[in-house]
Amino acid sequence: MNFNVILFFGFVGILLLALGWTLRRPQTHRRPQTEADSLEECGQRHITYLPQVRQAFAKSDYEFLSKNVPPDVLRRVRRERRHVAVAYLTALREDFQNLLRMARVIAVLSPELDAIREFERLRLTAKFAWQYEVIRWRLLAGVAPVPQLNGLSDLVSRLSVRMEAAMKELGERAAIAAELASSMNRRGLDVG
Amino acid sequence: MIVGIAQFQQTMWAVNTATGVFVLLLLVVRKSYRVYPAFTFYIVVNLAQAVLLFVIYRQWGFSSTAAWLFAFGTQTVAIGARGLAVAEICRHLLSCYPGIWGLAKRILLICAGLVLLYSGFAGRHQWKLAVPSADRGLELSIATVIVVLFLFVRYYDVRTERTDRWLATGFCLYSCFGVLNDTFADRYLYGYAELWSLLGMLAFFGSLFLWSWALRKPLTVTVTKENLLPLHVYQSLTPEINLRLRGLNEQLCRLWKPEVTRH
Repeated sequence: MNFNVILFFGFVGILLLALGWTLRRPQTHRRPQTEADSLEECGQRHITYLPQVRQAFAKSDYEFLSKNVPPDVLRRVRRERRHVAVAYLTALREDFQNLLRMARVIAVLSPELDAIREFERLRLTAKFAWQYEVIRWRLLAGVAPVPQLNGLSDLVSRLSVRMEAAMKELGERAAIAAELASSMNRRGLDVG
Repeated sequence: MIVGIAQFQQTMWAVNTATGVFVLLLLVVRKSYRVYPAFTFYIVVNLAQAVLLFVIYRQWGFSSTAAWLFAFGTQTVAIGARGLAVAEICRHLLSCYPGIWGLAKRILLICAGLVLLYSGFAGRHQWKLAVPSADRGLELSIATVIVVLFLFVRYYDVRTERTDRWLATGFCLYSCFGVLNDTFADRYLYGYAELWSLLGMLAFFGSLFLWSWALRKPLTVTVTKENLLPLHVYQSLTPEINLRLRGLNEQLCRLWKPEVTRH
């Protein structure tokens, strides 16, 4: 088969795969306009458990256990800690995705977007997704360290604080919009 | 074999014309032509092309140079009309969101241009193949634009109308098939012309079917004027978000590195 044929067939194959992916209904499809309530708690749900998780990962705990419990118990502890690490990583990603969704709401409702910033966010999101998957698989395979998650959580937490300002503004504007709509409805009824 | 293809081709011509008329009727009866004027124009152009080609082929034969030139001439007009219809659907899908639409317009135009260039470079450079190559480039551009448009819709999670999605899908599938068909025509030009035409007709029938399915119900025109945020909200928050994301990626990089203390 000719190289050109392969080239064009490959391109069309990629396009069709992308088309199928974009048309597939997302598993948790939520509209930006209806998620104002959930956004209030965005980025805060799992971070509240950070002290407990940090305690569970404390090196001193592990050293104490290694001196006082049999090896099979130690192995079990190690395995369970890894599971906790994976679960916590997943939860943080969920929080992070909520924040990203918020960023998208802001973009959707903005009169103008900066292409460079949007591309940067896209690139960073892709990079995060890739690294997250690598770390998760390494953790599951038992070849990665139990992560130092506190730094990770800090970032998400700080971001959520900054987002509160936007949420507040969104809330205010939504309230104005609702008031406007209801006043228009009332006016319509009056006329009728 | 050739006679069988020719007969099937004539049948498909009649079926496509009838389906095209049905789509046009749907557009008129449901008054959807007001919402989709460019799409309506495209359907009209296609019907006119089918009728004209039928007359030309009867007059001069399918393989004559005059018929070939006329066919590609009308095809240029049809692709132009298709481009307009696709632009209309793009506008329908995203124009409610001025920020995204402004960005999407630029990206879509750049994508279309790049794909045209790619198509031009990747094709075989022969004068006799110039028209099918140009046709393929345009088809590939249209398909790419629609896929990128859907990527935008998915990425920003924006609300879209079912009809717009189906119409765009019909265009995309037809264009994808057009690229494959043109690529085969490019490679096996002689002896493939009959089959090329027939397969094109079948693909067009598939798209007409999708469009008639999309237009079967009256459109509910929902003019949703989004309550936009002041520009400063975006300008102040986005760099901060990106900064945090970059920091988070750095954190993940550190987690990845082997020098981190293992437990």
